Amino acid sequence: MVAPAGAQKTKSKEFYDIVRLIGECKNKSDEDAIMRREVMLLRTILASPKLEKAKMKEYLIRLMYVEMLGHDASFGYIHAVKATHESDLSMKRVGYLATSAFLDENHDLIILIVNTLQQDLKNDNYLVVCAALTTVCRLVNEETIPAVLPQVADLLTHPKEHVRKKAVMVLHRFHQRSPDAVVHLHSKFRQMLCDKDPSVMSAALCALHDLILADPVPHKNLVPSFVSILKQIVEHRLPKAYDYHRVPAPFIQIKLLKILAALGVADKAASSEMYSVLSTALKKGDNQINIGNAIVYECVRTAAAIYPSPVLLEHCARVVSRFVKSHNNNLKYVGLDALSCIVNINPKYAVEHQMAVVDCLEDPDESLRKKTMDLLYRMTKSHNVEVIVQKMTEFLRSATDRHTREETVSRISELAERYAPTTQWFIDTMNAMFAIGGDVVKPAAAHNLMRLIGEGSGEDAADATLRASAVAAYLELLATKPKLPKVLLEVILWVVGEYGVLSGSTAAGLMDILCDAVEAQPEGNKVQAQAMTACAKLAAAGGAAATGTGAGGGECQLSEKAARLLARNLNSRSVDRQQRAHEIAALLREAPAVVAAALPPDASCEDLELDPALPALDAFVRKALAEGASPYQPTSERIAVLRAGGAAGEAAGSLRFDAYDAPTTAALAGAVYDPYVPNSAGG
Amino acid sequence: MTIRFLLLVNKQGQTRLASYNEMVPLDERRQIEGEIVRKCLARADTQCSFVEHRNYKVIYRRYASLFFIVGVDAEENELAIFEFIHCVVETLDRHFGNVCELDIMFHLDKAHYILDEMVMNGAVVETNKAIILQLATQYVRSGEEAN
Repeated sequence: MVAPAGAQKTKSKEFYDIVRLIGECKNKSDEDAIMRREVMLLRTILASPKLEKAKMKEYLIRLMYVEMLGHDASFGYIHAVKATHESDLSMKRVGYLATSAFLDENHDLIILIVNTLQQDLKNDNYLVVCAALTTVCRLVNEETIPAVLPQVADLLTHPKEHVRKKAVMVLHRFHQRSPDAVVHLHSKFRQMLCDKDPSVMSAALCALHDLILADPVPHKNLVPSFVSILKQIVEHRLPKAYDYHRVPAPFIQIKLLKILAALGVADKAASSEMYSVLSTALKKGDNQINIGNAIVYECVRTAAAIYPSPVLLEHCARVVSRFVKSHNNNLKYVGLDALSCIVNINPKYAVEHQMAVVDCLEDPDESLRKKTMDLLYRMTKSHNVEVIVQKMTEFLRSATDRHTREETVSRISELAERYAPTTQWFIDTMNAMFAIGGDVVKPAAAHNLMRLIGEGSGEDAADATLRASAVAAYLELLATKPKLPKVLLEVILWVVGEYGVLSGSTAAGLMDILCDAVEAQPEGNKVQAQAMTACAKLAAAGGAAATGTGAGGGECQLSEKAARLLARNLNSRSVDRQQRAHEIAALLREAPAVVAAALPPDASCEDLELDPALPALDAFVRKALAEGASPYQPTSERIAVLRAGGAAGEAAGSLRFDAYDAPTTAALAGAVYDPYVPNSAGG
Repeated sequence: MTIRFLLLVNKQGQTRLASYNEMVPLDERRQIEGEIVRKCLARADTQCSFVEHRNYKVIYRRYASLFFIVGVDAEENELAIFEFIHCVVETLDRHFGNVCELDIMFHLDKAHYILDEMVMNGAVVETNKAIILQLATQYVRSGEEAN
């Protein structure tokens, strides 16, 4: 690998050597080794008193390489900052470049360049001003905005168009970081829209777009201006230098189309001013090359967003049709997206392309499949929800990207809740979703399902059937698939615990099944708690059933496996599990009637009424008082006693300086000890 | 409606140029760059050039050994960005004359200056090659004269 001819003029041999080394290395560990050596070398050079300023440009670029390949070069940041102070343009520019690459807006070193930026913004050389503007755009934060805002605002009238353009973008950035800081400049953005230089006008479009997205109303009066500019561009009235592949300023056209879309939403008057230019842009852009197709795509999006024009939409539909049927996957992708925009305006468009869409569902290209899912999601109504949700569930099975899975799961939940034809279908769909997507399902979905089953519809017979079939489905799942996602297992444990007896199996049999399932679960710990509660409920139901059939002496009993599960948790490190184990064990020793009262069947959705005075305990309290217990003293009375001084005459709350009396055995024997009443223990 | 980052990565996964619009910590960059390149490499030539990654979209285009990769927000026009990448390549081409990976490596600063003229604030700000190169080359030219 030979260094390019003439390169020796700008950079040293060492630079080309290191770049050559990086280029030649074959794997990551070699590259890491080279970089580590480079870091050590640069550290030494930069710390040396004989550091040559002229070579700083190179060192800074080498530092950039270091970070680009993933190694930290923070020891060099200060040199980047220092380079910005230089008067030599190329050194200064490298300093700004490196600083922008290394620092972010919250870095401590930013304050060291603010002063330089302020000065450079006033420099006579427009190149220096531009370098400063580019850097301000990257590094400014809310606090530094005031330091440079006045200069930047002044630059809006600079004679050089490059400067004006960048000044607009910097103000745009200020608006993004701190909208209040530039509120007074909104009219300036509108002025810059009329700048004679197309690049400056284009920059103004970026800023105005953000303002319009935030609030379109104050800018509706600009619709004629935007329409006029787009018309002029499409008619080739801009300098030829702005053409790209013979298409006039396509990226500016697209910006304008997005702006028009935002201004025309639900506004018939504004939209009708746009139809003509949209039609022209659509026709002219339709030239079979990529950039033309990009413009056409944006036209369709705009036409679909604004108040509908049937003629325009027909035109769009023809274009969309061509895209969707194309063999080029990029066009197909964009076509599917465009189709999902127009399909809700008139569903007939979807029908026409049904076959193509179905094909895309099976396409080996995952991006196309995902786009088709987006389309189906937008198209869902009650008549097609079952088919679409089924397709989505299948898609979920093969999707690997976590974000895609989360999105699909949340869409399935949303569609199922909104359009479910029957409760049974909803439950089946949810079960499938939990089974396949359990890793990304939110707990709220599980709670919704449980509540749905618990609340029922109010009709006892229908509810009983529903619950019985849910239990049957879950038992089947437990039998066939030993390892289920945790969220699904929790739902199963709850449902089987509440309604298991509807299935006809014995309580003991069900308990065994649940315990086995928990054993098989890799993270079984948390679900053990749910399992214990479920077994307790089953035992309660079992005991009640036994009493009900008249078989005397009905007792609520746990199966052997359940009993072992309980015993294991009596000493559990988890307080929750330990508590449940003890409580359940104690509860099940009581008579079945008590157990049934504590764990009533099918009462999950009934409100708990609680009287804070706890009248049920009155008898217990009376008994204790009769036996000599001292009555409860509310806090206010206790404090009053303290303030009154007490029998020893000490001021309340003061330190006690004489020694305590030695304890006597009587004091420890169990008399009631009240620390605020001296000598109450008799000691 | 923003460009979040622009990367040049070769097919061995080595990054040749990285420009991020927002602050991303070093180790996270390495991770993201690795993940994205693997995804792009796994796709066939006939498949589309758009991939969803995490909560944004990635548009990529391959030129010989180099992948040009742009990460954008969900609302961006993918086909337009796909062509913007080509515009960047054409601009680099005009300056370097048949640009290749080596050119970028030996002149990393110039490549950045060119990009800085084209993308600001995550938006496409200039595609007029004459204007872009007029400015970008001045910053290095003065250095060459000084030497």
